Amino acid sequence: MIAGAGVSALLQVALPNAARPAVVAVGILYFAVVLGISVWAARRTNTARDFFVAGKGIGLIALTVASVSVSVSGFAFIGGPGFIYAVGLGAMYIVLPAAVTNVMGAWVLAKRMRLLGEARALITIPDAIGARYRSRGAQGLSAVAILVGIVGYMATNALAMGVVINSIFGVGLGWGIWIGMGVTLAYSASGGILAGIYNDVFQGTLMAVASVLVFLFVLNFGGGLGEISRTILAHDPTFLGPWGRLTPLAALSFFFVFSMGSLGQPQAVHKYYMLRDPLQLKWYPLLKTLGLVLVLLLYFSVGVGVKAFVLSGRLSPLASPDQATPALLLNVTPILLAALVFSGVAAATMSAANSFINIGAAIVTHDLPIALGRRVKNELRWGRTVTVLIAIAAAITAQRSGTMVAFLGIFGWGLFASTLVPALAVGLNWQGATRLGAMASIATGLIITLALETAAYLKVFSFPAGVTASAVAMVASFLVFFIVSWLTRRNAQAEIDPDVRLVMEL
Amino acid sequence: MTEPTPRESRALYNASGPVVAAADTTRRAALITLFAAIAAIALGYAAAFGSRGTPAWAPWLLALGIPAALGAIMILGATRGDRGVGPLKIPFAFVILMLVLGFGAALALPASEGPLSRLWLGLPARAAIVIYGVGLLPIFVLPIAYALTFETQTLSAEDVERVRELARVNQAERDTPLARPQSVRANEARKPSDNLMPE
Repeated sequence: MIAGAGVSALLQVALPNAARPAVVAVGILYFAVVLGISVWAARRTNTARDFFVAGKGIGLIALTVASVSVSVSGFAFIGGPGFIYAVGLGAMYIVLPAAVTNVMGAWVLAKRMRLLGEARALITIPDAIGARYRSRGAQGLSAVAILVGIVGYMATNALAMGVVINSIFGVGLGWGIWIGMGVTLAYSASGGILAGIYNDVFQGTLMAVASVLVFLFVLNFGGGLGEISRTILAHDPTFLGPWGRLTPLAALSFFFVFSMGSLGQPQAVHKYYMLRDPLQLKWYPLLKTLGLVLVLLLYFSVGVGVKAFVLSGRLSPLASPDQATPALLLNVTPILLAALVFSGVAAATMSAANSFINIGAAIVTHDLPIALGRRVKNELRWGRTVTVLIAIAAAITAQRSGTMVAFLGIFGWGLFASTLVPALAVGLNWQGATRLGAMASIATGLIITLALETAAYLKVFSFPAGVTASAVAMVASFLVFFIVSWLTRRNAQAEIDPDVRLVMEL
Repeated sequence: MTEPTPRESRALYNASGPVVAAADTTRRAALITLFAAIAAIALGYAAAFGSRGTPAWAPWLLALGIPAALGAIMILGATRGDRGVGPLKIPFAFVILMLVLGFGAALALPASEGPLSRLWLGLPARAAIVIYGVGLLPIFVLPIAYALTFETQTLSAEDVERVRELARVNQAERDTPLARPQSVRANEARKPSDNLMPE
């Protein structure tokens, strides 16, 4: 859910050197488990379908934990608590949508995408858009939009991995990038999504355990949430207001972008294809929501807790808000708990990187050739090759320019949201949506997001407080989708194939 | 019992496929609400570009528009066949109301946070309404409603079998193209099953 905000925020952090024996030992153990899972998965990956959607599918629990893992980046552990520390409870509007996003995704997308997988053996999100509108153009355009977003995500994740691994092992940022990307690449290229899923299960479990332990520690150390609140209210009551220091428009805007936008995040939506038995969707939203709540406990407790500890003098003032988690871990918590959290942050970045590598490889070897009227003959071999190329390109980009990489990572979430939500989420549930409406909507989201983010980055334009490029692009994309579909409604019914219509009507 | 022929399977699908009026009404209402909610949110953002800054009513458009948009898209996704959203209307209404009340209370109630504030589960009142009412309460309503109504409202084994049967029919027809008349085969060229879709 917050992968998008995460990588860019994580990049702003110069994590302190945490290379203590316990941290290094837990870090080595973490990487050993990841490699062990990868070797096991590689032996079970024999076809392109195995590589991109885990062959015959994944069980409910494994898929749920994996989905939680890819939905949360290092932002939930580092940047997010720092954001709360800086602006107060207004930062919670990024994570509050988790209460509704998973079940919303289940109603709007999960069933129909999983059934499209049954009907057509689809393996990608552009596949679903192509099938819905019977359009190679729509499939190709959505593939391009996803690829643009992935370029940014991959570079930022590579840099974030470098920051975290450097902090754990003290190897330097450059080596951190290559070690992190090398390990991720090893399991992405050999075991594909199967290795990714089972590593996500391990990584998600690690993140949840670390988050719950930190939450309990903070409550205990602070004397309970009530005592923590009393300390803050005595010094800075605005912090615990419903918007914190944000304007109401800014906080509500976060809620809108991170709730509605969740329906367009490929790393989460793609998982719907992988559930072994479609009937297991029954418990998926409940389990995933509970899993997310566990992982996000750290986000809330560290942000609020560290604020109280600093105000009461139990912790030195922070050099910057992003130091909230590292300062707590390295000065207050037991070192073993700190080691778990640092490995959890590494897990979060690697999990996100793996997922995006896999989706990017599928777009290059599957969607774009289909859009051009061709098929790649050996998708498995080319999938592995492209996986290696994407990882190397991301690592090189990450090393070249931190500022540019941070810029690339900023618009990922908003780009996916504005290009995919109307065409995919509304389109799969409204037979009146048309091919032209979908393509116009995707193009609108792509152009507006890139134009506004670039203008803001170059400082030729600034938004009023509370307005973001992501929100404007998503709203514009929705309106264009509705208006163009209405203008071209005569073609709507003819553009839907019988099997797709059946899936839409169930 | 013999397997149905492709033609019989198609007839089976066609007999049970059409959507009837009740669901159409629900879908139409959800679509209109979604469009209106997105337009309201757009208006809220547009107002922020004014020279005098964000007017006080602009956040209210988001506070009402966001719950309406989320509720509408969930209803659109949950509507099926001729049953509309069935018993799900109650949890949907509850959660939409919770979001509206939560955001509305945060906007409308005066700022009263201070050292002597009464705490609700460890937080001052306005923060507790948002964190617990908007961020936690829906967790105990929507996912459970989803699970409890799954077979009747979302997906049954029969639904899955219908889709698989149609997929088998399409596959069989692709595997035996010469068994069908030329006109049907020509039409097959427009079928998307091989992922090579004509524009």
